[in-house]
Amino acid sequence: MNSDLRKKIVDIVYNSREGHIPSSFSIVDIINYLYEHVLNIDPKNYKSSLRDFFILSKGHGAAALYVVLNKFGFVSEKDLKLYSKSGGILGGHPDVTKVPGVEASTGSLGHGFPMAAGLALGLKIQKKTNKVICLLGDGECHEGTIWETALVSKNLKLGNLVAIVDYNGSAAQILPLEPFKQKWDSFGFETYEIDGHNFNDLENVFSKLEYNLDGKPKVIIANTVKGKGVSFIEGHGKWHHRIPNEEEMIKIAKELYENN
Amino acid sequence: MKTIRQEFADTMVEVGLKDPKLVVLVGDISHGILQKFNTACQDRYYNIGICEPSIVGMSAGLYKSGLIPVVHTIAPFLIERSYEQIKLDFGYQKCGVNLVSVGGAFDYSQLGCSHHCYADISLMKHFKRANIFFSASCMEFNILFKQAYNNGLINYFRIADNAHDVEFKKEDIIVGKGIRVTEGNDFTIVVIGYQLKPALEAGKYLLNKNISVEVLYFPTIKPFDKDLVIESISKTKNVLVVEEASKSDGIYNYVLDATKEINDVNYQHIAIDDFIHEYDTYENLCRKNGFSSENFVDVILKTLKTKVLETIGQ
Repeated sequence: MNSDLRKKIVDIVYNSREGHIPSSFSIVDIINYLYEHVLNIDPKNYKSSLRDFFILSKGHGAAALYVVLNKFGFVSEKDLKLYSKSGGILGGHPDVTKVPGVEASTGSLGHGFPMAAGLALGLKIQKKTNKVICLLGDGECHEGTIWETALVSKNLKLGNLVAIVDYNGSAAQILPLEPFKQKWDSFGFETYEIDGHNFNDLENVFSKLEYNLDGKPKVIIANTVKGKGVSFIEGHGKWHHRIPNEEEMIKIAKELYENN
Repeated sequence: MKTIRQEFADTMVEVGLKDPKLVVLVGDISHGILQKFNTACQDRYYNIGICEPSIVGMSAGLYKSGLIPVVHTIAPFLIERSYEQIKLDFGYQKCGVNLVSVGGAFDYSQLGCSHHCYADISLMKHFKRANIFFSASCMEFNILFKQAYNNGLINYFRIADNAHDVEFKKEDIIVGKGIRVTEGNDFTIVVIGYQLKPALEAGKYLLNKNISVEVLYFPTIKPFDKDLVIESISKTKNVLVVEEASKSDGIYNYVLDATKEINDVNYQHIAIDDFIHEYDTYENLCRKNGFSSENFVDVILKTLKTKVLETIGQ
């Protein structure tokens, strides 16, 4: 569990009075794993044509992306301090025109995945082997463009495309997606299911993946917990877009410290 | 005679053979005529499926990978249905694309309102980084596409189903420039698309009545050639704007804005102000909705008569 990154997420949200803490906690372990072990992106040359591409399609988890980008040298501590504030580059949803290392401006759900598929197709046309990884929310899988893109990705044999679904149960509150794995199977994806907070699971699945230019696209259903790491934030209640007060900040810090 | 849609297909071959970055995505439209491109430019033609917003979104990904996307389908599905993708994936992110439509306004006159698109021009005007072209001749499309396709902006090309049959000099077709087709002193007609044809017929008729009409044609709608309009209307003080497009926020607004410093101008506007529920030929729908040389003449004569009456105090 990445307690330090979680603490940073809470700090920047508290500082700016803006952000989605539970959604960010649910994906921060995955994003950290990708930047540490999977993605080939040089923060000093983040526009390199040789880089891998990561798109956070569920843009409201941006705080998690920012703290990871900070950890790996794409954005500074000063940038984090100005998160969602005047003069800053890091907003409530990521902006490709401002943030080093961000590949797509997302926020409106259902946009990142088609763009990722287009990127994968573009790389395939150019016979380039860069990886394309896109992180989706499960609620986002209500959007029609996700399933349109799934159909197209299979048909175009985009084996260089990997979707990860943050399966934290948000969708089930409204419009359940089950049987979810079977849906992706039936759309022709190579499908995996893991615990999205477990390093070994992530390591195991990514060691198996082959990023070929003429194969099945992949989907990793990452079972996660919204708000993972702080007991009273976990779940689908009032914390979705809530900012902690001073007393709650102390409790959060204590739990994160104990879980570290 | 070659259709403008065929010219689109031929231009893709011409440009695609020279530029390996050009990629064409379609939503199951013009599939047959694009086979020459498919053969000539292997792996750069995709009939993606009937999922227009996803096609537009994917084309932003193509741009991000370093390619130059062309997305082609019917106007209401390309622009109105996929508007959020155009707004966010290209406008917000500053990506480049070439959106090429057929079926603007009521070109699909016998298919009903589901296949009409009146608001495409108005919608595309909202993007600072957008160019808007309306080609009603093969030459216009070919030249303007080649001038603009790799500029990194949002280029919207509306292709008319019906050509105006006017031949221009090649050098007169320039992105952002209008064309003075006839010179006159009494009335200006500002026109786009096929309607150039009835506009010229109206001008010819009125010349026999000693009324000279200056017809200005705009193959590029945005950026709008304000200077041409200002020069003409400063002289005539009368203008009729004819646009086969929504009455709200089309080129009429550009004309009003361009001429706001000119006093005592009479403005007339013929455009589309509601759904056209009838099924009929294109020619008949034009006539029934005011897009005819007879109606243009009528509007101009009434305007001049009213002006004369006002001048003599009646």
